Amino acid sequence: MSSCFLGVLCVALSSMNEAEIPALTPAAPATPGEVGLVEPHDFACSEPFTFESGQVLPGFTLRYETYGRLNAARDNTILICHALSGDHHCAGIYSPDDRKPGWWNNLIGPGKAVDTNKFFVLCINCLGGCQGSTGPSSIDPRTGRPFGIAFPFVTIRDMVRAQKLLCDHLGLASLYAITGGSMGGMQVLQWPIEFPGFVKKILPMATTARESAQAIAFNEVGRQAIMQDPAWNHGDYPRDGGPRVGLAIARMMAHITYLSDASMDRKFGRRKKETAAAGAYNFDVQFEVESYLRHQGESFINRFDANSYLYITRALDHFDLAAAHGSLEQAFAPIEAETLCVGFTSDWLFPPEQNREVVLALLRAGKRASYAELTTDLGHDSFLLESPQLYDLVRGFLEKKSP
Amino acid sequence: MTKPAFKRSVDMQIIADWVEPRSRVLDLGCGRGVLLDFLTQSKDAFAVGVDLDFDKIAACVHLGAIAYQGDMLEFMRAFPEKHFDRVICSRTLEELPNPAAVIAEALRVGRALTVGFVNHGFWKNRLTTLLRGRKPRNAVYTTEWFESRPSNPASITDFEHFCAIKRIRITRRVHLSGDWKTSCHFRPNFLAGYALYDLTQ
Repeated sequence: MSSCFLGVLCVALSSMNEAEIPALTPAAPATPGEVGLVEPHDFACSEPFTFESGQVLPGFTLRYETYGRLNAARDNTILICHALSGDHHCAGIYSPDDRKPGWWNNLIGPGKAVDTNKFFVLCINCLGGCQGSTGPSSIDPRTGRPFGIAFPFVTIRDMVRAQKLLCDHLGLASLYAITGGSMGGMQVLQWPIEFPGFVKKILPMATTARESAQAIAFNEVGRQAIMQDPAWNHGDYPRDGGPRVGLAIARMMAHITYLSDASMDRKFGRRKKETAAAGAYNFDVQFEVESYLRHQGESFINRFDANSYLYITRALDHFDLAAAHGSLEQAFAPIEAETLCVGFTSDWLFPPEQNREVVLALLRAGKRASYAELTTDLGHDSFLLESPQLYDLVRGFLEKKSP
Repeated sequence: MTKPAFKRSVDMQIIADWVEPRSRVLDLGCGRGVLLDFLTQSKDAFAVGVDLDFDKIAACVHLGAIAYQGDMLEFMRAFPEKHFDRVICSRTLEELPNPAAVIAEALRVGRALTVGFVNHGFWKNRLTTLLRGRKPRNAVYTTEWFESRPSNPASITDFEHFCAIKRIRITRRVHLSGDWKTSCHFRPNFLAGYALYDLTQ
């Protein structure tokens, strides 16, 4: 999407909201404890952006949302970083009858663990993404066609540097805290290395300082599913077309890595679809779990761009703080922020050991860092869990003044 | 202050006296972070705690203390020699399945090790065992045998014997009487209720 197109869309969205919100607000007041109605904004940066790869974009757009109020000192912002398939819509709803709130709505809101009565919450769709920020599906101004695989290779560090430009645009004096899980956690770790004085607290969850061989392997299977689909066509496909089969398979497989044996068995067991005839010797959908995964794949292709999937998984693969800085201790040497890292016992994608290693290296480097581990059986997605224990921990970390 | 609350906090002042200002301290079995917080406030120490329990780590985080959830041996193995100025093992030792390994590792990662424990040779402990014929239960050891953690009830004589055979140097020792306040210099293994040791390799 070109920034021009986005600009028009944003104007359309904001003018629509300006017209509608005053009328809607009395009829549908925000439920206590809920962020309520929200709208996305666009930041169009017209300065050239040089990627770590050396490739340059003449400008870019980031789509973001904010909740709560920025204080007078402009230092109460909590930045939320989303995971691979996530986006900037982490809390609230888009209309009164919107039944699907943002992806971390259980954590963020007035009086919640990330309290929007106290903090200004910012969440940004990552550079290279496809939910409104500039990525491979955006229009390349030089050709008038989508970038496709001509888009510059993006890294976690590139994503963070682009986010900082938005923070500067918003006039933020500093970030009070940054949190996120999975790929979001990688950005959380990259931030205080890149901009040490700008960040007070970091709260990475279910993450790693170094993408493991197993995680790279899963990413590669996903990419192959996409790239072997003839409709991928070397990344050159129309907006409404593309490798839909390949992307759906990539999503189905990746989704398994976000769950666990125990949680899948509890949720689906060996239950069969009612439509499946008992003992049918065919390859139609028979088990609930098959049907669930197919649904995950189907719904994903309607909201995600296959080339973005390739680019972002590559960004994950390249994430290795130890290799980038000589050692993890050296990587963490500039950090001034205080850390709380949270691991989850059943996470086998970014398992507890990888989260522990982050904290141990921070402590070896003489930094203030704590580690807590929640016992859950929901796998990697546990960080999205509705858990009073997790809420209490997050609140305790965010609201305790640093020494 | 209630008697149990007093008995929980009595050794904090002595432990803190042995901590150098602004030094790097590791508290093994940090619980809810009371000692960590005290050392940070009173000595401006860089104090890190280790405990197994999520709720205890969360309590530490609420206090603003630094804490790591996990096994203390595995934690210490992740650090180079003498990374900490001092390791503290206060009222934790008797609950460990492998105290010798923990003490050895603590003396490797720490320049000094403070150990504090209830003296099971104290005459009252001997008397209750002798008269009641049961595991001692008091203000400190409140639980029945079947709900206790692994317990290695040691006496002052036991502990000094251990240090002797392991060639661990005792640089300081404080024995407190049954009131856990006044120091006890006469026949401590029989008359002291609580013992604190400062050790180096």
